[in-house]
Amino acid sequence: MNWARFASVIPIAAIIWAVFAGEAVVKKTPRTDGRIVVTYWEKWGDFEADAMRAVVDDFNKSQDRIFVDFQSVTNIGQKAMLATSGGIPPDVAGLFGPNVAQYAYNNAVIPLDEFAQEAGIKREDYITQYYDICTYRGKLWALPSCPASTALHYNRKMLADAGWDPDNPPKTIEELTRLDEMVFKKDGDTIKKMGFLPTDPGWWPWAWSGVFGGKLWDGESKITMTTPENIEAFTWMGSFAKRYGSATVQSFQQGFGTFKSPQNAFMDNKTATVLQGVWMANFIEKFNPDLDWGAVAFPYPEDHPELANSTIIDLDILVIPRGAKHPKEAFEFIKYVQTQAAMEKLCTGQKKQSPLAHVSESFIKNHPNPFVELFQDLASSPTAYSTPKTPIWPQWADEIKSATEVINGKKEAEENQGSVRAALQAVQDRMQPKLDNVIRRERALGIYREKGSVAN
Amino acid sequence: MAKRTRTLQQQNLVSVGILHIVLALLSIVFLIPLLWMIATSLSTEKVAGSFPPQFIPEPIVWKNYYTAFNYQSEQLGGVPPMLIYARNSLIVCILVVAGAVISNAIVAYSFARLKWPGRDVAFSITLATMMIPFPVLMVPLYAMYKDFGWIGTFRPLWIPAWFAGAFNIFLLRQFFRTIPLELSEAAKIDGCSEWGIFAKVILPLAKPALAVVALFSFMAAWNDFLAPLLYLQSQETFTLALGLQNFKGQAGGSPIHLQMAASTMVVAPVIILFFFTQRQFIQGIATSGLKG
Amino acid sequence: MKFTNQSKAGLLFALPWLIGFSVFLLYPLLRAFYNSFTEYTVLTPAVWIGTENYHALMKDKVFWQSLGNTFYYAIFAVPLSTIVAIGLALLLNTKVKGQAFYRTFFFLPALVPAVPMAILWLWLFNGEKGIVNYGIQVLNDHNWLFQVPKPNWLGDKTVAKNVLVIMSTWTVGHAMVIYLAGLQQVPLALYEAADLDGASPIRKTFKITLPMLSPVIMFNVIMSIITSFQIFTQPYIMFPGGAPERSTYFYSMYIYDAAFRDNNMGYASAMGWIMFLIIFILTFFARKYMDKKVHYEAN
Repeated sequence: MNWARFASVIPIAAIIWAVFAGEAVVKKTPRTDGRIVVTYWEKWGDFEADAMRAVVDDFNKSQDRIFVDFQSVTNIGQKAMLATSGGIPPDVAGLFGPNVAQYAYNNAVIPLDEFAQEAGIKREDYITQYYDICTYRGKLWALPSCPASTALHYNRKMLADAGWDPDNPPKTIEELTRLDEMVFKKDGDTIKKMGFLPTDPGWWPWAWSGVFGGKLWDGESKITMTTPENIEAFTWMGSFAKRYGSATVQSFQQGFGTFKSPQNAFMDNKTATVLQGVWMANFIEKFNPDLDWGAVAFPYPEDHPELANSTIIDLDILVIPRGAKHPKEAFEFIKYVQTQAAMEKLCTGQKKQSPLAHVSESFIKNHPNPFVELFQDLASSPTAYSTPKTPIWPQWADEIKSATEVINGKKEAEENQGSVRAALQAVQDRMQPKLDNVIRRERALGIYREKGSVAN
Repeated sequence: MAKRTRTLQQQNLVSVGILHIVLALLSIVFLIPLLWMIATSLSTEKVAGSFPPQFIPEPIVWKNYYTAFNYQSEQLGGVPPMLIYARNSLIVCILVVAGAVISNAIVAYSFARLKWPGRDVAFSITLATMMIPFPVLMVPLYAMYKDFGWIGTFRPLWIPAWFAGAFNIFLLRQFFRTIPLELSEAAKIDGCSEWGIFAKVILPLAKPALAVVALFSFMAAWNDFLAPLLYLQSQETFTLALGLQNFKGQAGGSPIHLQMAASTMVVAPVIILFFFTQRQFIQGIATSGLKG
Repeated sequence: MKFTNQSKAGLLFALPWLIGFSVFLLYPLLRAFYNSFTEYTVLTPAVWIGTENYHALMKDKVFWQSLGNTFYYAIFAVPLSTIVAIGLALLLNTKVKGQAFYRTFFFLPALVPAVPMAILWLWLFNGEKGIVNYGIQVLNDHNWLFQVPKPNWLGDKTVAKNVLVIMSTWTVGHAMVIYLAGLQQVPLALYEAADLDGASPIRKTFKITLPMLSPVIMFNVIMSIITSFQIFTQPYIMFPGGAPERSTYFYSMYIYDAAFRDNNMGYASAMGWIMFLIIFILTFFARKYMDKKVHYEAN
């Protein structure tokens, strides 16, 4: 009857709703105030995103022509690439420094040289290590948002409990190893505490090379995975799993809570020290404000004091993907972020140092991170290092990660050096042809610069 | 003779008992993961991380569901992302189900009841397409949808469903062939066109089979991960399967009890749907796997 | 044959599928074939490079590793899950009371979508706090059976793949229901005849039930070979990058990475076509071999 008729209308209504709702989700309705909407994708979530959102709000208030629409996107490195290949890129994307070469090589971002020139933005305005991360093959592809450097964070109480003077944290690799042995505690088959665990958090499996003064490549065309320094570095990294048994260490590590939680190994008093970035202060404050901690430069090998003050130079960047609808307006926003006031607000919010050459006095004085000066100084240290600028880096990094898993998984302690060399050689053998291929193609396209032809 | 029956009965009783024990033990093995998921989802973060595990968490924290539901809501302007994901999943599911039911019924009718040149060859090719793995199509489809301007929209997820698919064609064809031809003949004598026969005679009889197609395509759309991963980039377009991945995100993601609460929320609708439609479901699967 | 009214109607009714088949299957398949001979990113036009991608693949260790992992998974997951599914179906087919309940319990895991399933399994198999290792520990503490080692499921390269194999045996609901329906179609007369000969239940199972079920088994095995070769979502979420040591790096993951991480679409297409050929060949031989078996024993 009527009910039956009514019931038959429901599915049709549902379909119509779904079609329209589906299109409405996707479609960007123009703003009623006529402002141009700049879509901005950023990798940060939580309070790091809040800091940027505050800057975005300032920008939106500072003028009435452009409106920046801020969105947090997880796994941005791949999402932005997919969106760009798919022809629907955001206008601004907040990527990671190591993405620059990959995106530039794949034609996925537009060069910013002309924009920067017009806006009067120069290399000298920045701590040059940071600016140089934004360039590839002589062109500028990105500008900094938040910089970072890394240091050894240590838990003062755990050091003291183990009988180590908390005012005198380890300076050398040998001391760090000794500290680990002093802190180490085991209950039956289960590890309870460690002094240091190179695989936690495991974000920079390649970084040990830099600590030991090794080089991953010649900066141009030759990968150098198996230099003596690299072998020494990865042997040291693997020594922890060997000392306590790789399976035991692995299950210790699986018991860690997620990074962003009070069960984070460092905050949960499971590891006494950790290699972490300047942002760590932020997370400690949020998840374990009572933690009594400190930070010092990461230790150096005892017989190489010249390698002191090493740090990973890391940078978050802003790029304009190719195909962006409003590149000019996008750059307006990027330019705004580069102003000292905006940058310091952002970096204070994220408890990081600033990438700019000039910082205001109040920035350092009022900075919420008690160790900000350390990180600031480390950034310009001559022993600072960053990732190789090459489009194959994401793959290369995966290869190194696999190699570290191989090294840490090996059970025979005697074979140590040989197995480390073999694992690194495997990375070398796999990546060198890919690098050759990249250079061959860049030569063909005329974008490859021979050594010495550009400053960076 | 009477004695023998009794021992047989006793034997039976013992074997039935053993059978029940075996089945009960197996049931526990099959259910524990799901129960454990629910238990963890109701634990505090501390209890969830404790060892040995607590099977009945103390205290029971219903609020975890609220927290998980609102997780990362600051990223979408205060709207709970789970709500947005659920809406998106619903949109895709409705359109996929509608498209699959309509298109497969039409096409299966053609294969089952109409004679046309090349039909049988076409049908074997249709069956063979089940062998084509999605990964081989992934790249060209991406390029094609880019040309269509479909990337970032729901269209790549539901429009193909309106053009039928081998599995459902096969399923419905099996069913249509069981409907007596005389019914069609009678309708034809009454002056019905082919469309009339299809709509007035076949479809009403095929409701159970259509329900099965609807259920299967709903499940497929609800569960799909790879296609949304490829075609949806902006968080406000994510489906539940894709959004759930955020709980496991880069820097370790959210704490385990929230991961479990969110997972439970994604699993629950499917299980509830199953309980309401169990009979069609089981029958549908049974017919799908039996060559007719 | 002349075009009758019916054949016109027939083609018209089949039209949606003819379009869908050409646009969403045939065209992409052919385009992938062409792309596999090119160097191609979606952002730059395709450049013909002949069979270079295929040559490079033959020398690519990761390609072989991912192929090996995929075969390993298929070789263990397909038979194991088939055996479990048939076993459960046989148990349920005894017409025991409460059959419907047990059936529901066994079926439920098959309803769990892949993403929550992956997240749940990471938790169950956690080496430190996982409930699976807890269960093993309890068994060991009580000295039941024998001492079972507590593997580091997710971190040990020799066991990580097996976690996925175990998962495949947990989600056999669909297959189980199909086999159960198949069992119920076996004519009772056959069993009655066997009873007269005094055959044991085991003998009946192997001599009557399984042969009668063989066409159903064949169809299901072929379908599960096809799906197991495409395994992606669970390992993608559980083992980023195929950790540990790429022991869980499956073929589909490599295709995805080649295409969308390395932007090497030509290479990915070549891999896709090789996968298609492998599935085609396997299905072909599985059919051929099993067709023989099926006919022989069912007669």
